[in-house]
Amino acid sequence: MTAPAGIALSGLSKTFTGRGKRIEALRDVTLTCPPGSFTALIGPSGCGKSTILRASLGLEPVDTGRVEIAGRPPAQATAAGLTGVAFQDAGLLPWRSVSRNIALPLEVLGRDVGSATGRIRDLITLVGLSGYEDALPGELSGGMRQRVAIARALVSEPRVLFLDEPFGALDQILRRQMNIELQRIWAETGATTLLVTHGIDEAVFLADRVAVMQANPGRIVEVIEIDLPRPREPSLFSAPHFHELCDRIAGVLHGG
Amino acid sequence: MAGDLRRWLPPVLLLLAWEVAGRLDLVASGALPALSEILSRLWQDRADYPAHVSATLAASGLGFVIGNALAVLAGLIFVLSPVTERLARGVNIAIFTLPPIAIAPILTLTLDGMTPRIVLAALGVYFVTMQATVTGLTQYDSRAADVVRAYGGGRGAVLRLVRVRGAVPAILSGFRVAAPNAVLGAILAEFGGGGRFGLGAYLLGSLGRGEPDRLWGIGLAATLIAGLSYAVFAVISRRMLGASLSLSLNPAGPEAEAGGRMSPLIGLGAVAMPFVLWWVILWVMRVPEMLGKTPWGVFDYLFLAEGAPVARERLLAALAETLPITLAGMAAGLAFAFGLAVAGRLTPTFTRVFLPVAIVTQTMPLVALTPLLVLLLGRGTAVTLWITISVTFFPAYVMIAQGIAQVPRAALELPRAYGASGWRELRLVTLPASLPWLFAAMRLTAPRALLGVMIAEWLATGRGLGNLLNQSRGYLDFGMIWTVAVVSVMLSVALYLAALWIERLVMTRKGIGAME
Ligand SMILES: Nc1ncnc2c1ncn2[C@@H]1O[C@H](COP(=O)(O)OP(=O)(O)O)[C@@H](O)[C@H]1O
Ligand SMILES: [Mg+2]
Repeated sequence: MTAPAGIALSGLSKTFTGRGKRIEALRDVTLTCPPGSFTALIGPSGCGKSTILRASLGLEPVDTGRVEIAGRPPAQATAAGLTGVAFQDAGLLPWRSVSRNIALPLEVLGRDVGSATGRIRDLITLVGLSGYEDALPGELSGGMRQRVAIARALVSEPRVLFLDEPFGALDQILRRQMNIELQRIWAETGATTLLVTHGIDEAVFLADRVAVMQANPGRIVEVIEIDLPRPREPSLFSAPHFHELCDRIAGVLHGG
Repeated sequence: MAGDLRRWLPPVLLLLAWEVAGRLDLVASGALPALSEILSRLWQDRADYPAHVSATLAASGLGFVIGNALAVLAGLIFVLSPVTERLARGVNIAIFTLPPIAIAPILTLTLDGMTPRIVLAALGVYFVTMQATVTGLTQYDSRAADVVRAYGGGRGAVLRLVRVRGAVPAILSGFRVAAPNAVLGAILAEFGGGGRFGLGAYLLGSLGRGEPDRLWGIGLAATLIAGLSYAVFAVISRRMLGASLSLSLNPAGPEAEAGGRMSPLIGLGAVAMPFVLWWVILWVMRVPEMLGKTPWGVFDYLFLAEGAPVARERLLAALAETLPITLAGMAAGLAFAFGLAVAGRLTPTFTRVFLPVAIVTQTMPLVALTPLLVLLLGRGTAVTLWITISVTFFPAYVMIAQGIAQVPRAALELPRAYGASGWRELRLVTLPASLPWLFAAMRLTAPRALLGVMIAEWLATGRGLGNLLNQSRGYLDFGMIWTVAVVSVMLSVALYLAALWIERLVMTRKGIGAME
């Protein structure tokens, strides 16, 4: 379980052809996330962030390039239960209660759900949904559903965690709280994390490195190291160096 | 309060008018009795009903269960194996379009007891549920499936965890639409068979006695059973889903796929399959050669045997009577429905009152309606025409009106916001929005139109294919019974395919994909 579990993407290219149009979603994307690191992926909407994530999990076949998770091809890594994922859309099953939705990865992996009840309850508390264990997704707000998806991503105790704009539907206050929680979880579990986000401050607060992307074709234009000391406190959000880093990223994003 | 009044006033007025007209024998000299007369007759006949109703219920219930079980299984297989679906497409279309009355005599001659009724009820539900199952299993949430796949789940896991449970609402709504079909199938088989009990047998026995109030009572009972079966499943699915469901009937025919190019070999297989199945069933069931004609037997009867020219002549004469009236009735029914639905856009109140009425008629078994129309209109050609029109009109109206209702209000009102007149708005938005539904309705009602004509011919007018079938049944002319059955199924399939072809032609020209 303690084997190094990094992410290695090398030379990924992907072109979608739909109804006569060709979209070069990824061109020669190379990114290495060392075991235990936290990487943020930031870029304008439509630049291929979700595509990178889906390709990393083997959900989207790529035209060229290679994906390795913990040194294995994605299909093996996912089936071995090394990965956890929360997509941009929560993708909950509407007929399952919150706790049964969270248990879904365990069922797919063929693990024992019964012995994980306590863990599932803890996760529900962690994402602030105590009392909603038996609620159906239809009875929750968009933000609450996303938090269920985050709990679901953590339930299999993954070594590698993929998060696609997981806090997109949350309000600013809750978002800050979840950022702090996520940092704590990451520090505790040591899971290699790849976070897709469109919040610059979120990326700087959480990540060791921020990979900045641009669209048409989707590519990584710069990887910026975040040398802020850990653990990072909420007061960081108003520190001058923090803002310097944010400005630099904004410059790369908008500079072209 | 005012809203309540507006809702209840039209039906109350309608019932009142019916009562007055019935009491005064205003319609066709007493062919339409007052509701109170019908109810009191029902009360007088109350001892007759339990045996008939329970016989019909037993057959349609059993057929419903068997047909649906097969349908769900078939739907699952078709989703897992598209090649099988394509191979079975011919059989599916044949089952969807076949006029049940055409094969009722065959079933009653080759099977015994309740079996023909059960088979016809099962055939009536199969297609609707199979289609609903396929739709339900196909339209699943891809994001939820991604989650399963992201943990290494394969096709089986996605099917088990996401698709099967997700298909339940669609399957339930399939049951709901299929339930009245089972009742219709069972009653039609009772027409063809010699059984003593069943609403169909009761109806047939009472037809010659010129007692309108009893016929209306039986019709009412049949409608009630069909309507209740529909309602039961509407309640079950609402309970299970907790979501509001819109009423819709026979929502989908075989899919009008746009890009579905089949390899010629599979296409050939799809065409051959119904005939192979026909042969295999006869062989497996060891039906005596005299009774059960194979495809070759029918060919022989029509072209090679001694009496072939006579048989052909009779068949063609019957076709010449049946086909024109089917087409004319369909055209009139569709045009009427289209006009009324589109005009309804300009008078929303009318739609609000009429649409529920039209929906209710959908659960009324055709067989119950026919004798009543015969009473009202006599036994001439007019009755056939009216039956066809009503059989086409109501479903088409429901489809088109509900189709128009699906267009977002904003889209409908946009031209108005720019000062367009009502007519201009009609031309810009309502017509284009309703055209696809018109064609879908044409495709779906074509088989029903033929069924309506044949029932009328069988029961009333003594002409055409329906009559030829009934006569041949009397003479035990097995060759002709099989021939009429095969020809009317093929005719029904041809009507369906022609409608599909026209639909595609117009839709591609207009740049709109064919409706699902
Ligand atoms: N299945 C698909 N078919 C066609 N185009 C797609 C598909 N998935 C994504 N794309 C296109 O690829 C580009 C990148 O998409 P995505 O990775 O979702 O962007 P992001 O997550 O950065 O907003 C977009 O232009 C999008 O339209
Ligand atoms: Mg995205």
